[in-house]
Amino acid sequence: MDGVRMAVISNRLNVVVEAMMNTVFRSSRSGVLNSAHDFSCCIVSADHELVMGAESLPIHMMSGPDLISRAVLRFHPEMRRGDAYLHNSPYNGNSHAADHAMLVPVVDDAGVHRFSVLAKAHQADCGNSKPTTYMTDARDVYEEGTLLFDACRVQTDYQDNDDILRMLRLRVRVPDQWWGDYLALIGAVRLGERRVLELGDELGWDVLQEFVDEWLAYSEGRMRAAIAELPAGRLSLSTRHDPFPGIPDGLDIKIGVEVRPEREEIEVDLTENVDCLPNGLNLTESTAATAALIGVFNSIGEGVPPNAGSLRRVRVRLRDGCAVGVPRHPHSCSAATTNLADRVTNAVQRGMAELAEGIGLAECGAVIPAAAAVVSGVDPRSGGRPFVNQIFLAVTGGAATPWSDAWLTIFHVGCAGMLRRDSVEIAEMTHPIRVSRQRLVSDTEGAGRFRGAPSAEVEYGPVGTSMTVAYGSDGAVHPALGVRGGGAGGLTRHLRRDRSGELTELSSQGLVELADGERIVSITAGGGGYGPAVDRDPARVQEDVREGWISPRRARDVYGVALREDLSIDEAATALLRAEPASARPPSQAS
Amino acid sequence: MRFAVDTGGTFTDLVIEDEGHLSVHKSSTVPADPVQGILDAFEVAAAERGCARRELLERGTMLVHGTTRGLNAVLTRKVARTAFLTTEGHPDILLLREGGRRDIFNQRQPYPEPYVPRSLTFEVPERVGAQGEVVRELDEEAVAGLAARLRRERVEAVAVCLLWSIANPVHELRVGELLRELLPDVPVTLSHRLNPCVREYRRASATAIDASLKPLMTAYISGLQGRLRDAGFGGRVLMVTSAGGALDAGDVAASPIHSLNSGPAMAPVAGRFFAGLDTTAPMAIVADTGGTSYDVSVVRDGRIPWTRESWIGEPFRGHMTGFPSVDVRSVGAGGGSIAWVDRGGLLHVGPQSAGADPGPVCYGRGGTRPTMTDACLVLGYLDPGYFLGGRSALDIEAAREAIRTQIAEPLGLDLLEAAGAVHRLATERMVGAIEEISGQKGVDPAQAVLVGGGGAAGFNTVAIARRLGCREVIVPIMGPALSAAGALISELSRGFETTFRTTTEAFDFAGVNAVLADLADRARAFIAGPGAGAVEASVEFSAEARYPSQVWELEVQMGAEGALDAEGLERLKKAFHEVHRDAFAVDDPGSPIEFESWHVRARCRITEPVLPEAGTGDGTRLERDIYLPGVGTVAAEVWRLEAVPVGAELRGPAIVESATTTIVIDDGAVFTRRPSGTIHVVPGTGAAAAAVPAGGAATGRGGK
Repeated sequence: MDGVRMAVISNRLNVVVEAMMNTVFRSSRSGVLNSAHDFSCCIVSADHELVMGAESLPIHMMSGPDLISRAVLRFHPEMRRGDAYLHNSPYNGNSHAADHAMLVPVVDDAGVHRFSVLAKAHQADCGNSKPTTYMTDARDVYEEGTLLFDACRVQTDYQDNDDILRMLRLRVRVPDQWWGDYLALIGAVRLGERRVLELGDELGWDVLQEFVDEWLAYSEGRMRAAIAELPAGRLSLSTRHDPFPGIPDGLDIKIGVEVRPEREEIEVDLTENVDCLPNGLNLTESTAATAALIGVFNSIGEGVPPNAGSLRRVRVRLRDGCAVGVPRHPHSCSAATTNLADRVTNAVQRGMAELAEGIGLAECGAVIPAAAAVVSGVDPRSGGRPFVNQIFLAVTGGAATPWSDAWLTIFHVGCAGMLRRDSVEIAEMTHPIRVSRQRLVSDTEGAGRFRGAPSAEVEYGPVGTSMTVAYGSDGAVHPALGVRGGGAGGLTRHLRRDRSGELTELSSQGLVELADGERIVSITAGGGGYGPAVDRDPARVQEDVREGWISPRRARDVYGVALREDLSIDEAATALLRAEPASARPPSQAS
Repeated sequence: MRFAVDTGGTFTDLVIEDEGHLSVHKSSTVPADPVQGILDAFEVAAAERGCARRELLERGTMLVHGTTRGLNAVLTRKVARTAFLTTEGHPDILLLREGGRRDIFNQRQPYPEPYVPRSLTFEVPERVGAQGEVVRELDEEAVAGLAARLRRERVEAVAVCLLWSIANPVHELRVGELLRELLPDVPVTLSHRLNPCVREYRRASATAIDASLKPLMTAYISGLQGRLRDAGFGGRVLMVTSAGGALDAGDVAASPIHSLNSGPAMAPVAGRFFAGLDTTAPMAIVADTGGTSYDVSVVRDGRIPWTRESWIGEPFRGHMTGFPSVDVRSVGAGGGSIAWVDRGGLLHVGPQSAGADPGPVCYGRGGTRPTMTDACLVLGYLDPGYFLGGRSALDIEAAREAIRTQIAEPLGLDLLEAAGAVHRLATERMVGAIEEISGQKGVDPAQAVLVGGGGAAGFNTVAIARRLGCREVIVPIMGPALSAAGALISELSRGFETTFRTTTEAFDFAGVNAVLADLADRARAFIAGPGAGAVEASVEFSAEARYPSQVWELEVQMGAEGALDAEGLERLKKAFHEVHRDAFAVDDPGSPIEFESWHVRARCRITEPVLPEAGTGDGTRLERDIYLPGVGTVAAEVWRLEAVPVGAELRGPAIVESATTTIVIDDGAVFTRRPSGTIHVVPGTGAAAAAVPAGGAATGRGGK
């Protein structure tokens, strides 16, 4: 197949997955989908290869759809048109239990299974024992309490299987909201199915199969070329997650990365890590592999289509029964898309950055702070109806790159900035809350030639009611590191403001009950910087001061730029400051 | 006599309607002094008519003007020094935006700067809650202090957007009053007045952009009016708006954001008109092909759709305004789009463009990278000696060489195949844009007529229609100046809206009817004021609604009736479920419906539209070899547009060309010249469409 025809067909499949995305976004009911965009849509081949994904959260997508497709086929060897499968088992290919994946086989008129279309969406609630979709402290899946669906057929002949849907209605909080989201998912996969069927009829299924082979080969070729340009290297990386329930001293994670440009491949080894933990932080097969893959793609993936072809060039070694690998039932993987996964991704891209200039990224800030908590309670404005949903206020966390300051609102490295933010007005309209403050915190950026994102400060509380706020944030002890001499980003912090205005420190994770009039203060993580801060263009430092990103004092102490009262640059004093040996300056850490 | 003037990036188009006769004139745009460009266009028209410019202008009763002046000012940041005032605690609204990103593994894209810098953002001590309750009283002394600070900062415009001013504007209004007292010479925009939509970022963004344009647009408009008056024009000056209508120039000066996206908004107005004139299809897909972009909109049942989500600049990197404007999707594929082969051997067309300078290789102005236009020249679609009516010859050898070395050799194709591949790929990118918007609007392209506008439209309009299964294509005689033509037939129109929430579970008939009555009054006042003397006036009501806990509303039409009873509500409910099913493939008929806002649009048709009239063609034609992908090189009849006999059924392969456009009629297509001058084509399927997946384009999403 020539490059023209391949481009044509890839474009058409991309239009299909984008149309699926639009359906979920516009018609879903919970804020985590219809405001924050926490979902993904893709097409996999009948033999389980990721062919085309809409650009969305990479932690959902790079490895996962392949595993889910395999899992469904294992239990249902005969794929029939009109079937739809709900799957969220973390032990069988899903990311984590809160992501409900809906898979529909695309079966041609002759009854041959050609492709599957998938839509995966983070639920506002998934039936956990507590009102949060991230049970970081759950000792096991029983304490987690989630409802698990292991390749369950929810539609046959395009008709709902009410038995399963009734179970869900009884076990998720706010069932009408869930039902609306279910309809949105079904709408998306049915739309995708119809469009792929039309395409097959028009072009011929053999042509589509030929396309898949060549498209994946093309993508693999792009990845080969990208790896071939890298310096060879073997990296032994380590990173440390903060103390959490089940890991009172925190957790060291070890990652081996081997870059083999001569063989045009990269291997990431996650096997040298601890066994599954007695908490909800365990990764799944999908998120452990994907976390490593995102680190690689963030470093070198520009222009490479992320699909089964390009992923062949990155081998991720995982171990069964490992917290950073393939989990074993009944260990909980409730927070498998964020905490440890982000640690892996950040360490990989940091390691790649140390290989040479122009590769990799600094580390992104850790999550999930209360600024993006799952909030729940009853809404006095609607006569006491219950509500539960993840809100998405200001979470920054972007990492500096070899070419530019951080993308400010990256949120966390696993979502790559694809999550949208709630507007304060929508958050206040849909929940009985008031956001009293939301702003950047100056002097918290990872300093550097290019700077990481500063922390954000968000303060909110219930109005006319009490409310449960569930969150669990890494990064209160171990910040996002800079690379190639860049500084670390600001730490996370949580406080309660009582009715008199007094502030008390809160734990980094857990469920907090706020009474009417109380508020929670969430300081989110900053991102790491790239390159030495004293290499930053003084004009940019001057601009940072003028615009309030940093103080004049930090400009002098960390960036070595002296500014006069009127913020003009004192060239002579700057030259002197920058001539000082690095040891004479305070470390370029966030204050 | 009426005039329409569209100031584009390269040309200023003037359309004159004179006692039932339409004429088009072009002159170069003068970027440093666009009014001069307009006067030049009148000079050209006067010369062609053999009269003095003053004489021509004196005969005019109305001038409808479209300009990208405001848009360019925003994109290049050449706007007033603007301050942003917002609720204390929330200074970073314009910086934090609404999240989202594109092209996630490209780490070279810097995060966008806020439209107003943080150093010119000021917090106002006050707070209104989500239900409109005053949570914290406005500190008026603090506002006075801010005013003094703004004076010191030499601020030239002020944007005020307080949280929940749409639920209760009391604080925003008071801030506006205080600023008027304390800074009487500085223009102010209040967010709830300008754009009463929920979501503070987009409302703030619209407010900031509007305020920042006021000094500039006020000066531009008064200069335009003054110089037109001095040159002899005594009529009314209207300006086209992003909503696809027109407003008095003075109203646009007061709210310049109205004109910001007006450029692409006019093509659907003209497209709807010609689709109604020359076809009976209930739906029209209107495409406008420019040098760098392909703009698409869908007109259904004569209604031009609007959106709150058009971006000024690139998605996620430009500015979202939330301001209602005609829903036009754009892809970076036009006549100047550059074709290139990546390292993996995949062909791409765009989004980079050679623009007007240096332009395609064949222009011989220094362009070295092959474009769509170069491909069409190589394919024989363009006559190198008749470009712009022969005013400028094209260098076909340079185009061949660029395509041979940069496309054909890397792909292992021969020259014509390579040029055909570029054409197919560009076609496919355009088809993708149409599929995206028609899918979202629930429109089946097979039921629609495709209207091709813009100078580069004719290269592949028939190919696009085939790929989409459209039964009809029209290229109107005014097609190359579709925007100016749209401006001439646009209606004076203005929308009014009120946020008023209620649900079908406890529908507040009295409240809604009071809102509708108020909207009806405002619409009537517009019709009686600016619309006085209109040939025909109409109002149309609509509501924005959603299922509970959805946050994106769908628009439901309510017709001309500005009151709701139980029966009307049932109709409205039914209509909402249908709209939802059309848009998303599912509905939830058992669910209650929440209504968010109520709208009315008043339209005043100022004059009877004049129908263009074509002369009868003399039937002369030439012949030229052209290459059609999937068919090969064929001898095609080449017609000058004015020579095509009216009403005769003719067959492709053929080329119909004029000084401003070239229409490729594929093998197997049937075309007719209508009495209006429109070329009407029944695309058929043709050997080409059957043999290849006609179309072609695209960059795989990771492949940029």
